[in-house]
Amino acid sequence: MIFCDVKICVGCRTCEVTCSSFHAGAVSPALARIRVAKLEELGLDMAVACASCLEKPCLECPTEALSVGERGEILLDGPLCNACKTCVDACPIGAVGFFDDLPLICDLCGGDISCVKACPSGALSYRADHRDLSLHAFMPSKGNPSERRAQCVRVQGEPIREGWKNGARVDS
Amino acid sequence: MSIYRGNCLRVDLTAREIQRGDTPENGIGGRTWNSVTLLRELKPGIDPLGRENILCISVGPLTGSELIATCRFIASAKSPLTGYLGDSGARGFFAPEMRWAGHDQIIFTGASDRWVYLWIDNDQVEIRDASHLQGLDITETTVKLRQELRDPDLQVAAIGPAGEKLVRYSVISCNLARAAGRTGMGAVMGSKRLKAIVVRGDKPVKPADPERFRRACAQFKSNLEGHRDFEPRRRYGTTRIMDALARMGVLPSYHYRSAVFEDLDKVNAETLRHNHVVKAKSCFNCNVFCSRYNYTSYGEGEGPEYEAQAGFTVKCGNSDLELAIGVSNLVNRLGLDCISTAEVIAWLMECRHEGVISDADVDGIDLSWGSREALLRLPRLIAQRQGIGDLLAEGSKRAAEKFGAEARKLTVEVKGLELFSADPRGVKGYALMNAVNSRGGDHYRGEPMLELWDDEELTLRRVGYREAAHRLQETGKGALVNYTEHLGILSDSITVCKNISCCMDVVDFDLAAEAYSGLLGREIAPRELWEACSHVSQAERQFNLREGLRPEEDTLPSRFLDRPIPDGPSKGATIDLQRLIRDYYKEKGWER
Repeated sequence: MIFCDVKICVGCRTCEVTCSSFHAGAVSPALARIRVAKLEELGLDMAVACASCLEKPCLECPTEALSVGERGEILLDGPLCNACKTCVDACPIGAVGFFDDLPLICDLCGGDISCVKACPSGALSYRADHRDLSLHAFMPSKGNPSERRAQCVRVQGEPIREGWKNGARVDS
Repeated sequence: MSIYRGNCLRVDLTAREIQRGDTPENGIGGRTWNSVTLLRELKPGIDPLGRENILCISVGPLTGSELIATCRFIASAKSPLTGYLGDSGARGFFAPEMRWAGHDQIIFTGASDRWVYLWIDNDQVEIRDASHLQGLDITETTVKLRQELRDPDLQVAAIGPAGEKLVRYSVISCNLARAAGRTGMGAVMGSKRLKAIVVRGDKPVKPADPERFRRACAQFKSNLEGHRDFEPRRRYGTTRIMDALARMGVLPSYHYRSAVFEDLDKVNAETLRHNHVVKAKSCFNCNVFCSRYNYTSYGEGEGPEYEAQAGFTVKCGNSDLELAIGVSNLVNRLGLDCISTAEVIAWLMECRHEGVISDADVDGIDLSWGSREALLRLPRLIAQRQGIGDLLAEGSKRAAEKFGAEARKLTVEVKGLELFSADPRGVKGYALMNAVNSRGGDHYRGEPMLELWDDEELTLRRVGYREAAHRLQETGKGALVNYTEHLGILSDSITVCKNISCCMDVVDFDLAAEAYSGLLGREIAPRELWEACSHVSQAERQFNLREGLRPEEDTLPSRFLDRPIPDGPSKGATIDLQRLIRDYYKEKGWER
């Protein structure tokens, strides 16, 4: 999975730019398979992408267009997809995008991961051994995908904000 | 010939009509479109806060592309602060979203009779009721809109209470703390009863010649990463300037009464970072991420940049950095320009110090140097136009007219726009830039940073004079300012952050032409871009002349002309401003 350290992420959205450019040759967040949730009023930024989670609720796909690849990534068989958005609604952290009638899910770029390479702050990393993260805490899902991403960051950011309150600073 | 024509949205707030059209022909994006539009469509002599004023918001063809930090929108209108052409850019994330929504320029005409906001969801555009947002600050407005529209990813450009109350130096802000700060564009928005612009965009920005465009982006990135200031800017951002200006001896301590600040180490970049910065923050697609998030006993927020940091410490004689950060956060929430606000407060403190005004003139507020009461109360009073704040909301030039000739002598403004936090006497290119540019007292039209580096070869290549590489030299400064003005217009059209493009010299006209050519898939020559910028520079002058600008207004406050810097490393520095201006006019082809 692609892991984003909420403590380090500066919220620049270079990962979105790189992802959409790599996969579609154009820049738009709607084409990106990784999205940065920014809770500006709390000072929190974090990129959210498919966590290759234990539950994999997206596999409820009624046309079986989605499957699990060898790295734990979710693969789409485009011709099978009927654009029902079941996977978009199922993902508890809002990590499934949707553009031009197709779902967009992190495919780990076939192994050479573009957003991790491009991340200027070093917040993103690839964790090959990290395949059994449970998203149980975020289920059942509430809200739309962007609200779910925001909620994910809010939860991840709580200890960071607690640290700030107790005196943690950027260099500490 | 037209290099790029974008999509233009015309919003008539009086008639509540929305039309679609094209951006002007002669332009390369951003500021070029806005200045041409205003010269063409605005009647001379109108009231900047009346319904006849036109507010233009533009991005450019490269905004929201893979090119680093193409993150700015430019807001332009006749300025309520200067009476001349006003414009200002804001970084952050609003501009790329506007581009992805498919709109390159939005032109607001007329005025609504009640508070509204503009809703843009790609092609769907609506004028919506904003009565429930009235009185909310920038943060509250942004958070409320994102909540009620159920999309935390929405981009919002809003005005705060200061814009609603028509404070002449109020801002349009996005991402809570990223402001189009100068020349009072927030007041123009407020005069139209437009509380916010909300945008969501999905449309991809796709280069027509991907290989060429990618090469230009890579070159840009490598220039940036190879620059000597790359690492320091990553660590400290603009706040690093304070130590640099102290070394040069051009700090504006106690409202320019001294170039030395005895408590520098209590308020400088390292102290800020060590005590108050909890993380780095970035604008869109930038690998410098030079901004910061602060956490203080006065609350939290993004910032401060150098101008707020220095403006609310050194300039006001305040050694309490945490207080200054609190004021910076407050000013951001209220929607005030931090440069003008700091200058107005510091000027008032000096007036009190000199006995030019009395306590009774200022509702009994303690105006001693560094006064906590003044720093915390005045921004609120200004934003609400309460008590003395109502007068101060007019800007220092107008306020000084009320306080008399002695107070006028102490103001630090050009054409009504308050100056930055540095002493122009020790940085001749900046002095000239402040004196002559279309916006008034302003360093940011194009930063003449080359004069701070002593790099003669580079300066020779850019502007044709070795001497211009040194800040205290006067030779070649006309050419330097003309060049950086062009680079400023180019940056305001690419919509790239000027802290990179101008302050780090990472883009020149050759590289910009490669980026435009790659994106558009046509051959754009560097010369064409230069000429587009020249054309706009002249158009902006023409606009101001039409509004009654007299050449003698190209000047600096008299306190910088009739005496030298009193102390510190630049002690004794004076300016021969007339020489600098003659030199500049020659570059421009203007008559005196």
